[in-house]
Amino acid sequence: MEIVGLHPVDIVIIGVYMAGTLLLGLYCTRYVGNAEDFFVAGKALPFWAIGFSIVVSDIGATDFVAVAGAAYRNGVSAANFDWMGSMPAMVIAAFLFVPYFWRSGVFTIPEFLGRRYNSAVQFINASIWVVFLFMMLAVMQWLTADKLMHTVLGWNTYVALWVVAAVTGIYTFSGGLTAVVFTDVVQLVVMYVGGFGLLALSLWEVGGWSALQSKILALGPEYQDHFKLLLPHNTTGPFPWTGIVFGLGLVLAVAYMSGNQVIVQRTLGARTEWDAKGGMLFGGFMKSMIPLMVALPGLCALVLVPALGPEDADRAVPEMIRIMLPAGLRGLMFAALFAALMSSISGALNSVATMFLTDIVGQVRKWAKKAPLSERMGLHVGRAMTAFLIISSAVFAEPIGNQDQLYVYIQTLLSFFQGPVLAILLLGIIWPRATGYGGLAGLVLGVASAFVLNYTPGLFPQKDPFLFMAWWSFVFALIVVVVVSLLTKREPAEKLRGLVWSSVVVDEEAQKALGERVSS
Amino acid sequence: MMEALRLLWSRFAESSVQLFEKMQTVSHKVLAPIFNPMNDFLGGLPEWVASVFGVGIFVMAMVWVGVFLKKDYVNRGRPYKSIWTDLRLWTCLSMMPHVVFYLYFR
Repeated sequence: MEIVGLHPVDIVIIGVYMAGTLLLGLYCTRYVGNAEDFFVAGKALPFWAIGFSIVVSDIGATDFVAVAGAAYRNGVSAANFDWMGSMPAMVIAAFLFVPYFWRSGVFTIPEFLGRRYNSAVQFINASIWVVFLFMMLAVMQWLTADKLMHTVLGWNTYVALWVVAAVTGIYTFSGGLTAVVFTDVVQLVVMYVGGFGLLALSLWEVGGWSALQSKILALGPEYQDHFKLLLPHNTTGPFPWTGIVFGLGLVLAVAYMSGNQVIVQRTLGARTEWDAKGGMLFGGFMKSMIPLMVALPGLCALVLVPALGPEDADRAVPEMIRIMLPAGLRGLMFAALFAALMSSISGALNSVATMFLTDIVGQVRKWAKKAPLSERMGLHVGRAMTAFLIISSAVFAEPIGNQDQLYVYIQTLLSFFQGPVLAILLLGIIWPRATGYGGLAGLVLGVASAFVLNYTPGLFPQKDPFLFMAWWSFVFALIVVVVVSLLTKREPAEKLRGLVWSSVVVDEEAQKALGERVSS
Repeated sequence: MMEALRLLWSRFAESSVQLFEKMQTVSHKVLAPIFNPMNDFLGGLPEWVASVFGVGIFVMAMVWVGVFLKKDYVNRGRPYKSIWTDLRLWTCLSMMPHVVFYLYFR
């Protein structure tokens, strides 16, 4: 592949950007004195910082590259992940789940599940998320090093990998969630400027929106659905409407926005409950613009870079940057992509470190009847974990991240456990009768059912039926939780105070009791 | 010794694959009669049904927050009382563009 050399202006822009991000992250170190500061920013975040941070951490470089690739292959239906897959789920998260997490004073979602069910549920849930986020760290690093930095800049992939790991690792290690959130705010602005700049130039080059539509529809019969958001149930592509509505809209997205530590951790750092909810809504609104600057350039690439082909579609956006943008703007756009990557990596790093400390080390020490770690020791272990994760995920980046159809790969990984996790979260909050055994059985058997559905051929019209896996494993887990809970002993009312819908929404006394329990 | 280990490993791998294929056959026999009729039914639905469900999710979410949830619960902790800090309004404003997108890309 031809590599376009960097203009000195590009190098200056990228250099200034990276150094600025690093300095901002290091500046935030002054606000980190204990584990609460490191993990939930001392509960002082305003709604706008939460919203910005959720958007940047969520979209990441995987969206810039993989959603654009999916749009190139499957059309605008790829945008469902930022529309159907965001706003309704963020509304449900904001008004159903977040108030409970925020009020209960927890650091992590598994910790909440541990209080509601039992320590086994907490440990298993945390372990699943730690493994998944570790894989995501590896994927994100490989994606940026290989598909972005190598394609756009011509850098050696392995050198790029370690540069990325070093910069993000240093500021996350030092500044914790405060650094992550405030660097995210800057990164969002850069991403939007770069993303909308690329969209404007791409549409200009194609000849406008109408020309884009007519040129793609003229490519052949297989492109006739490229401008439909909801495709027929029996489409051979991975995004049928039934899967999008039920699997994505009602399960995957809700589970992602309500049970994903990377997202929820930002709301746990809110200064008030209103900021936590408002941050979610504001983030959802900002996110609705993402497909415009991510999926549409992918569609433009179909006209402008037709030689790319479906198998190499994940290189669509990097190719567009390489071909279309002039010196200076190319540097800015690259900085935008780098921004997306850095925030995703730093967000995942901070969240994995939080869950590892709270839900894995904490539980193991509890089982071994050892005292919990001190605040200072917790901070040290969190930082050590951050360093270990960034180094080890860089080492394993190539074998884990070097995959075709990255977006489908990532979503399939999520679908193995998101349905069951949502089922136990949902029933845990709205149904006081759900018991610890019910939650444990629902989680374990639900994940097992997802594996069975994925590895049984011929059940669904699609080759990659991850949306249906998510929906049916959710339904199965719901049934298991209900049945096992009804067969086991009811949880004592004292344990449920402040953790279920009925006791949190209307009972101020429960709030007080919960606050006392958290502080003790 | 190495040769024996290699042979043992290849037998283990072979039997694992066979077991996996058997399990796939069994699960297919059990699950296909459940999923195939559902696929036939859903595949035969007209396209407008998809749009109704798609737009319906956004509308239902707006109705849930705006009508069913208590105002105090939705806005608990807000800095000052003003229509601009009412999260019910935020919900509707952030949902509306999506409704437009789903109606446009039909």
